[in-house]
Amino acid sequence: MEARAIRRRGPTGEHRLSLLYLAPSLLIFAIFVFYPLGRTFYLSTMGTDIIGRANKFVGLDNFADMFADPGFFKALGTTALFVLFTVIPSIFGALVVVLLLESRISGQRMFRTVFALPFAFSVATASVIFALIYNPAVGMANGILSYVGVERIGWLTEPDLALISVSITTVWMTLGYNVLVLSAGVGAIPTEVVEAARLDGATGWRLHRRITIPMLSPQLFFLIVISTIHSLQSFGQIHILTKGGPDGATSTLVYWIYEKAFSYGSSDFGTASAAAIVLLVVVLVCTGVQFGVLERKVHYR
Amino acid sequence: MTLPRSRTRGGLAVVAALSLALTGCGADGGSEGGDAATAPGPEAITEPIEIEFWHSMKEKNELAIKAMVEDFKKANDKITVKPVFKGDYDQMVVAYKQAIQQEATPPLVQIYDIGSRFMYDAQQVVPMYKFIEKDKFDQNANIEPNIASYYTIGGKLWSMPFNSSAPLLYMNADAVRKAGLDPDKPPATLDEIGEWAKKLTVKDGSTVTQYGFNAALYGWFVEQLTAQDNAEYCDNGNGRSGLATKVNFGTGAGPKFAQWLGDLVKEGYATNTGRPTDQAQNAFKTGTVALHLESTSALGGYTEAAKGKFELRTAPFPKPSATSTGGTIIGGASLWINAAGHSDAEKRAAWEFVKFANSAEQQSKWHAATGYVPVNPQATSNDNPNFQVAVTQLRAQQPSPATSGCLLGVMPEARKAAEVGLEQAVPAGAGQEAKTSADQAMQNAAASLQSSIDKYNANVK
Repeated sequence: MEARAIRRRGPTGEHRLSLLYLAPSLLIFAIFVFYPLGRTFYLSTMGTDIIGRANKFVGLDNFADMFADPGFFKALGTTALFVLFTVIPSIFGALVVVLLLESRISGQRMFRTVFALPFAFSVATASVIFALIYNPAVGMANGILSYVGVERIGWLTEPDLALISVSITTVWMTLGYNVLVLSAGVGAIPTEVVEAARLDGATGWRLHRRITIPMLSPQLFFLIVISTIHSLQSFGQIHILTKGGPDGATSTLVYWIYEKAFSYGSSDFGTASAAAIVLLVVVLVCTGVQFGVLERKVHYR
Repeated sequence: MTLPRSRTRGGLAVVAALSLALTGCGADGGSEGGDAATAPGPEAITEPIEIEFWHSMKEKNELAIKAMVEDFKKANDKITVKPVFKGDYDQMVVAYKQAIQQEATPPLVQIYDIGSRFMYDAQQVVPMYKFIEKDKFDQNANIEPNIASYYTIGGKLWSMPFNSSAPLLYMNADAVRKAGLDPDKPPATLDEIGEWAKKLTVKDGSTVTQYGFNAALYGWFVEQLTAQDNAEYCDNGNGRSGLATKVNFGTGAGPKFAQWLGDLVKEGYATNTGRPTDQAQNAFKTGTVALHLESTSALGGYTEAAKGKFELRTAPFPKPSATSTGGTIIGGASLWINAAGHSDAEKRAAWEFVKFANSAEQQSKWHAATGYVPVNPQATSNDNPNFQVAVTQLRAQQPSPATSGCLLGVMPEARKAAEVGLEQAVPAGAGQEAKTSADQAMQNAAASLQSSIDKYNANVK
């Protein structure tokens, strides 16, 4: 009786209190997420004057302009490839690193630190370093190749290769974080589960396939979702390494939006907002599909 | 974690737009600027005043600005100029547009050359000629005519040239001599550079250890070579007798340069370091490249880098062919005084600083500290012969519509389009074929601008 009374009284009181606790973050969300989101929808229907002011309602003209631009579709394709080239290698690579580190080798802690280190680099720093490595005339990458007698490669200047080079940089940058998350995940696997499996004769790859990887599935799922979103939103490395070139080969959707809105003295916020809405839809669909398809396979403890 | 940055920017723009919507004005703020604006006299300053000066100068150049501001403070006890770094030239335009929306422009702003038409159309400023008339300032004696011509619209000066740069041919003189060539007789045309590049390319087995030539795929070079040909980059007298309605780099020097560079790269005499200029600069600084095109603004850094490694020499920027009769275009940036939303005292204070920055004494110091070409012809130029080349090159030519440069609202985009054309026409490395022929690539690039030009022109008419 008493318990039920409390429960009945509880929600409203607690509800108010919870709102109070949530207020600061709600306010920040409202200012920095919900308002810009609403504004993006508004701007996507407006024309823009030379100063960047919305000056007249144009309906869906911005969307029409965007869909009429071959560069937009190219950017969509580039974005898809970029996600593919970064998410899969960075998670798979991190998994391999973490599983290798699981075997008892000397200097394990050192290796773990070394592999997690790229996480400490800012995008700008890492990109500048990679720009030096990739320099076709004086870069380290071609220097090493020339030792083994291979012709110089235009890492960032060959349209077919530039996206892969930018992806390598991105994988290097994200690998550290992925290693950290997966290491923590491995550390949290109860020893008795592993011991039991060992007693049953599971060793090496079999142990990993049957026990470690399934037990890591929550972390893997988290990384797939987060990496996909990050990858869709990548900007800094593209800006520093290639500026979207050569010939648009590394211009992802985010970079296309940036160019429309801010780059080269442009201030076409209308078309940029229309493309931003497309990006939002792409992120929502990707995340939705991942939750729908992958989450079912996740083993939560 | 990079999108948040661009998103924040978008957010700022949005917040800016909101404040505009809330205050409900801003559209009429522009009416104060333009030809109707008036220049206040010295009596406008009655009490101490501080004005902001937005600039894009980094590192040693920023230090030079701070020194200039200090000197100014000593000479004018009533006016304090506060320099504010607002990011690179492109970012400055973004920041300035947001400031217009928020009605928070600074009294004084530095805008790059290719933003000049936008500045004119935005109608925010007191044109410089108003102050020049008011003060009976001797323009011809104090501003190099070849520099002033870029910032002259309708026969009148709209902004004060501040940091001016010119294009140069850079040489690794040691490499040149080693190849049996004479650095005192530098190549003057693209074809001559090509000849030299062949002799200057050094191979160790099958790998190239020194390339004859390299330049960034930089649209500015297309503009320069077009002017060297005495041709106009955009129509309507380079946008000076009316709004330009199309660009011309699809024919003439544009495709010629693209074809020439593409051939050199294909044959292995030049390396393609792509669009970012620092990639090309790194290649030259390390001595891997013998001949190289860049602006005078790189000279300071190159002098430093070459010290103890190789002898650095400069030469006049090449002409597309021996019969070219034009000249080069000034690059860099100029100072604009904002009218909209500013008091007479602020405008006058900004002009006092502009005048001070233009003085022969300050331009001499500025030139020595930064390597920019002195704007004031009375300024003493650096005795480094490598600097002298640029000054001589500039002073030798006659101002013409071609060498004044193209005034185009979407000029930054035009430069980028030319760069995309170069990317298509220049193969990535030796033995490779370009994706598109030089003619086709540059024509496509010029055509790709049309909708942007039309959109801009429709907005300002």
